[in-house]
Amino acid sequence: MPTSPNDASNDPGRSVDPILFEVIRNALVEVTEEMSVSLQRTAFSTNVKTRLDYSCAFVDAEGRMVAQAFCQPAHLVTIGRLVPRAVNEFGAANLEPGDMLIVNDPHRQASHLNDIFLIAPFFHGGELVGYLSNICHHVDVGGGAPASIGAFRETYQEGIILPVVKIVARGAIDTGLWKMILANVRAKKEVAGDLRAQISAINLGLRRLAAVLDRYGLDTVRFYIQELLDYTEKRTRAELAKLPHGTFEAEGWMDDDGMSDQPVHLKARITLDGRRALFDFEGTDPQRWAPMNSNMTQTFTACVYVLKCLIDPDVPINEGFYQPIEVSAPEGSVVNARHPGAIVGGWEVSVRVCEVLFKAFSQAMPDKVPAGTKGMICHVGFGGEDPRTGDYYTFLETLAGGYGGRIRSDGPDAVQTHIQNTQNAPIEETELNYPVRVVRYSLIPDSEGPGRFRGGLGLCREYLFPDHEPIFTTLADRARFAPWGLFNGGDGRPARYLSITDGAVESISSKGTAPVANGALVRVETCGGGGYGPAWERDPERVLNDVIEEKVSAERACEVYGVVIDTSGGSIDIAATNERRHALRTEANPP
Amino acid sequence: MSERFRLGVDIGGTFTDAVLLSEATGATRIAKVPSTPSDPSRGFLDAVERILAEGNVAPDAISYLVHGTTVATNSLIEGKTPRTAFITTEGFRDMLEIGRQVRPTLYDVHFEKPRPLVPRNLCFEVKERLDASGEVLESLDENRVHEIARILAEQDVVSVAVCLLHGYLNPIHERRIGELLRTHHQELVISLSSEVCPEFREYFRASTTIINACVRPVLARYLDDIESRLRGRGMTAELLIMQSSGGVLTFETGAEKPAYMVESGPAAGVIVANYIAGELGYTNAISFDMGGTTAKVGLILDGQPKVTKEYEVGAQANPGVGQARASGYPIRTPVIDLVEIGAGGGSIAWVDSGGILRVGPQSAGADPGPICYGQGGEEPAITDANLVLGRLDPAYFLGGEMGLSVDAARDGIARRCAEPMKLDAVACANGIVEIANAAMTNALRVMTVQRGIDPRDLVMVAFGGAGPLHAGRLCEEMNIGLLMVPPSPGTASALGLLVTDLKHEFSRTRIMGEGEEDLDEINRVFASMEAEGRAVLQREGLGDESIRFVRQVEMRYAGQSHELAVDFTAGEATADTLASLRERFHTEHDRSYGHGYPDEPTELVNFRLSALGNIRKPKLREIAVHSGPASAAQKGTRQVYFDAAGGFVETPVYDRSRLRAGHRFDGPAIVEEMDSTTLVLPDYMVEVDRYANLLISPPG
Repeated sequence: MPTSPNDASNDPGRSVDPILFEVIRNALVEVTEEMSVSLQRTAFSTNVKTRLDYSCAFVDAEGRMVAQAFCQPAHLVTIGRLVPRAVNEFGAANLEPGDMLIVNDPHRQASHLNDIFLIAPFFHGGELVGYLSNICHHVDVGGGAPASIGAFRETYQEGIILPVVKIVARGAIDTGLWKMILANVRAKKEVAGDLRAQISAINLGLRRLAAVLDRYGLDTVRFYIQELLDYTEKRTRAELAKLPHGTFEAEGWMDDDGMSDQPVHLKARITLDGRRALFDFEGTDPQRWAPMNSNMTQTFTACVYVLKCLIDPDVPINEGFYQPIEVSAPEGSVVNARHPGAIVGGWEVSVRVCEVLFKAFSQAMPDKVPAGTKGMICHVGFGGEDPRTGDYYTFLETLAGGYGGRIRSDGPDAVQTHIQNTQNAPIEETELNYPVRVVRYSLIPDSEGPGRFRGGLGLCREYLFPDHEPIFTTLADRARFAPWGLFNGGDGRPARYLSITDGAVESISSKGTAPVANGALVRVETCGGGGYGPAWERDPERVLNDVIEEKVSAERACEVYGVVIDTSGGSIDIAATNERRHALRTEANPP
Repeated sequence: MSERFRLGVDIGGTFTDAVLLSEATGATRIAKVPSTPSDPSRGFLDAVERILAEGNVAPDAISYLVHGTTVATNSLIEGKTPRTAFITTEGFRDMLEIGRQVRPTLYDVHFEKPRPLVPRNLCFEVKERLDASGEVLESLDENRVHEIARILAEQDVVSVAVCLLHGYLNPIHERRIGELLRTHHQELVISLSSEVCPEFREYFRASTTIINACVRPVLARYLDDIESRLRGRGMTAELLIMQSSGGVLTFETGAEKPAYMVESGPAAGVIVANYIAGELGYTNAISFDMGGTTAKVGLILDGQPKVTKEYEVGAQANPGVGQARASGYPIRTPVIDLVEIGAGGGSIAWVDSGGILRVGPQSAGADPGPICYGQGGEEPAITDANLVLGRLDPAYFLGGEMGLSVDAARDGIARRCAEPMKLDAVACANGIVEIANAAMTNALRVMTVQRGIDPRDLVMVAFGGAGPLHAGRLCEEMNIGLLMVPPSPGTASALGLLVTDLKHEFSRTRIMGEGEEDLDEINRVFASMEAEGRAVLQREGLGDESIRFVRQVEMRYAGQSHELAVDFTAGEATADTLASLRERFHTEHDRSYGHGYPDEPTELVNFRLSALGNIRKPKLREIAVHSGPASAAQKGTRQVYFDAAGGFVETPVYDRSRLRAGHRFDGPAIVEEMDSTTLVLPDYMVEVDRYANLLISPPG
C-alpha cells in the first residue's frame, strides 16, 4: 500500500518521547473502546447486546492493526487480517470519506458468514490515515437453517455471501444493497438494527479519531504508531525468549464433521526458538464437505490466543504482536479450508485447536496450561413462526461448560473457554421475546473430570416449546471426545444432546437441524472440564466440600477420589479414606 | 435556643472522618481518627467524642447525624456475613454459580469466577412457575416450602433471599413463601426480590436480593449498636445513613434496605461537589476526587449526580472501560456513577519490559508510602514526582507534620525510572505526572464524551488530598473553563453527608411497546410508588410540604436491551405526556450514542420513582471580603517545574488560610493549606469567592 512521501514516521532523527508514546497509545485504544460501548448499547440482537459477540479496531493505512477494543478473544486477529485484504481487493484509491465496505466472505479471510465486518477509511487533511472497522456476529444471515448455523457441504448453502462491497457511499447507505441483504435473512429487525449500530459506532469513532489527529498532528501520530508496533514486537520477542525453547506436539479429535461420523483429527507441532513461534498443522485431516472447517483467520486466531495466555498479559495486542508468529497449515485441510468449503463450524475448530496447543505445551509449561476445557463454542439456535405475532423469529445462544483444572486451582464451573467469552441471555428476557420456555439451567453434578484439582462442572439447559414447532439447530461437539485430564487427572463427562417427547428420551446430533414437536423439550448437557493431577491426591477437605455442596456425590467421592465420607455427620472417615486411596494408587501404578 | 449543629461521620478504609457544622454560621470543624475495621462502631464513637470535645459541643446540640459507611460492602467482600440461604424456582438453583457464564479476564488461564455469596447447599428449589406475563403456570408447592423451612432451621440460617422466575411481575408466590417461612421462624430475615428490586433479568435481581439478605443482619446490628451507644451518651439527634445514590434514610429504614447502602461512603464526594457548584449557580459539573490510592470521577447534570444501575460490588477496578466485567456481584439498585482508576498520590511508577514508563495501578499506600516519606518505600510514586517538580513543599506536608525528602525521591526516580529510559530525573518526574494525568483524562472522557456529554459545558470541583494538584492540567486537556477548589479539600467529601435530602427509591418493571402503553397501569404504578414513598417519609417525620417526587422511565427502542432513564412528567399520565417522553428519549439517545431513530418504535421498561424529603440545607460559611492585593497572603516563592515553560519557574506560594474573598492572582502559583496543595498553571487566573473556594479559569 502506498505511503505518503513526506511521512515523518521514517524520520531517523526523531527521538521517542516515552510519555507522548503512552498518551497517544491510550488515546487510540480509547477511540475503539468508545465505539465498543456505543455498539453494545444501541444494538438490537442478543448476540451483540448480551453475548457481546463483536469487536472494534483501528488499522493504519498500511493495513496494520494498531488498536482494538476486545469483547471476544476470537476477534484477536480477524480485523487485522481482513482489512488489508479487503482494502487491497477493493482498491484504497476507490475509497472516499464517508464510505464503508461490508464483507463476510470466509473465503476472503473473514470468519464465518454470521460475522459481518464493516470497514471505513479515515482521512485527515485529505490524506488516508487508516481504517476503522468492526465485526459483529449476526443472529441470522440466511441459508438453510434458522440462526445460520446448519450443517451443509458448501458455504453457498450457509447464507448470504457479502464480498467486499460498498454499503455506505459518501455517508449514504446503498438502499439497494441494504434491501438485498435484509431480503436474504430471517431476523430482519435484529440484523438491520445491528448493522445500523455498526455504522453509527464507526461514525462515532471517525469523529473521535479526528480529534486525536487534530490534537497531536498526523506526523506525530504516524511516528508513534510505528513506535508502538516496534515496541510491541520487541516485547513479544522478549517474552518469547523467556519461554522454553524446543518443539512441542499434540493431537486431538473432534467427534465428527457434521455430515459423516468420521472423527476430525487435528495435529499441531509448535517450534519456539526464542525469537519466533512457528505453528505447523501438517498431519491434520483434509477438509470435509461439512461445516467443521476453519479458514486461516480462525486458525491463526487460536495460535495467537494461546501464545497471548502464555506471556505477560501486559503486552499490547496489535500488528507488532502478530509479527513473530508464523502459522503453516496444509491448504485444503480442516484448518485451512479451500473454496467453497463450508465454514460455519470454523470457530468450533478454532477453539479445539486451542485445546490441542495447550496440550502440546503442557509438559514444558505445566504451570501455564489448564487441563481440557469445554473446548467448543456450543451453538444452540432455533426459529420459526412466533404464534403470538405471526412473525418469523430467530434465536441463538452459546452454552458454557467446565474449565480444566490448573496447577494450583480447580477449573471453574460453567464458563466460556479460550477464544469465546459470550454471556448468557437472561431467561426472563428470552421468554418475553421468544416463544420458548427455559425449564432448567443448572450445573451437572458429577460431570467434572476428577483430579488433584478437578475440572469444572458442565451445565444443562432445557428448552420447552409449548405452542409451536420450531426448527432447532445445534452446532457443537464433545459428545464423544470429552475434555482430557492432565498429569493423571480424569476426563470430564462428555456432552449430551437430547430430545424428550412425551417422556421418550432420544439422542440428537451435536450438529444437526430438525423440527421439534409441539410440547417437546430439547435438553443440552455440556461437558465437564478435565482434572489436573491424580484424583487420589485431591485434598480430602476439598472433596468433602464438593460433597456438601452437592457438586460431587458421596459415591463418586469414594469411588474416584478415594475419600470416604460419613454422610450422616458430613465428615471424612480417615482410616477408610487411606485404605481406599492406597487401593486407587496401586491400581494406577501396579508394583 | 442554643446553637444547633449537624454531624457527619464517614468511615473510610484508613481514617474515620467527622465533620461538625454549625447550622447558624456554617462554620465547620473536622476530626480524623484511625478506622477500626474489626469493630467499625468504635472508630465511629471515637470520632464523635473527639469532635464534640474539641468543638465543646454538647451531644444534645446535634440535630442531625448523617453516617456514610462501607460496613455493608466490606462484610460482603470479606465473607463475614451471617448464614444466608436462597430460594428459587425449580430448575434454577445454580443461578448464582453460573452467573453470566463468563470469565472476568480474557487471557488468564488462572482466572476465578467470584465465589457465590450463598453456597450451593443453601440454594433451594421449589416447584412453581409463572410465565413471561406473570400468569401462574404451576402453583406453589407449599409442602416443599415447609420442608425448606425445616432445613433452614437445622442449618442455622438467619437470612433468606427469595427470587422466583418472573417474580418481578407477580409477587404471589414469593410472598406466600415469605409467609410460610415466617410461620416457622419469627426471627428469620426475609428478602423478596419482588420487594427489594422488582425488575426483570433474573440473575441481576437475584444477586441484588441476595446482597440485601446477606448484609441486612450485619447492617441492622451495626446501626442498632451505634444508635444505642449514641443515645446512651445523650445524643437526641435524628440518625440518618447515606445511600449509594446520594440521599439519606433513617437508620430504621436503612436497616431494612441495605441493598441501597452498599456504596454509602463514596457517594458523599459527588454530593458535596454538586452542592458547592450549585451554590455558585452551576448545575453541570465534574467531581474529581484524588486521594492516596485512586482517583474518582463523578458527573453532575442538571443539579443531579448521575447514577447508574450497572454496578458490581467488589469488582476489580477496570480502568478505561465503563463496563462492569463479571468480577464482582452485580447489584441493580441505583449507585452514584463513579469512574475509578488506580491513580493516587501513592501510585507507583515503573518501567515495563519494553522500556516504557508506566504509572499504577500498584500503590505504595500509606505504609511504606512514597520514597519521600522515608518509611522504607523504595518505589517512586506520584507524590515523589510532585515533590521533585517543586509542587509540594518538603517542609509543609500535612501542614508540616511530616518532613519529606526531595533527594531520596529524586534518587529513587533516577534509579528506578529515569536511568533505564536515559532521561534525567526531572523530565522523568514530569513524565510520571503527565502519564497519571493522561490516565485521569481518559477517565474523564469515559465519564463525559463516552456518555455524550461535552466537557466544555462543565465546571470541575476538585478535592481529595491530591486532587487540586492535578486538576489544573486535566481542565486544560479537557477544555473545562472553570475549576473550583473548596477549602480543606482533603476532608471536603465528608461535608457531602450534611447537604443532602431524604431519599427513597422505587422501581417497577412493566414492559409496554409503543402504541400499547396502558395509561391506567402507568398511573397505578406511579400512584402506588408515590403512596409508598409518602408513607415512609411521613413515618420519618416529614410533612407534605417537604415531600416531592421525581419520576423517570427507563426506555429503549423495541428490540434493544439497554435502557436509558428519561424524566417523566408529574401528574396524570396522558397520551401527550407519553409523546413528550418519547421525544426526550430520542434526544437522550442521540446525546448518548450520537444517533437517534425517531421513526423506530420505543418501549417502556422500568418505571422509577425517587421520593425526596427536603432537609433544610446548611449555608456555607462566608469569609471576610478583602479589597487589598493577594500578595498579603503570599508566604514566599519557590522553583516549580512547568512543562509548558520547559523547566523550573520562580513561583509565588500562597497561604490559603490568609486568602480572603475577592483576592485575585495569576498563575503560575502554588496555594498551600494543611491537607492539600493547589497548583495553578501559568497564565491561569485565580479568584477567591466568599465561600473561600478558589475559582481558577484559563487565560482570555
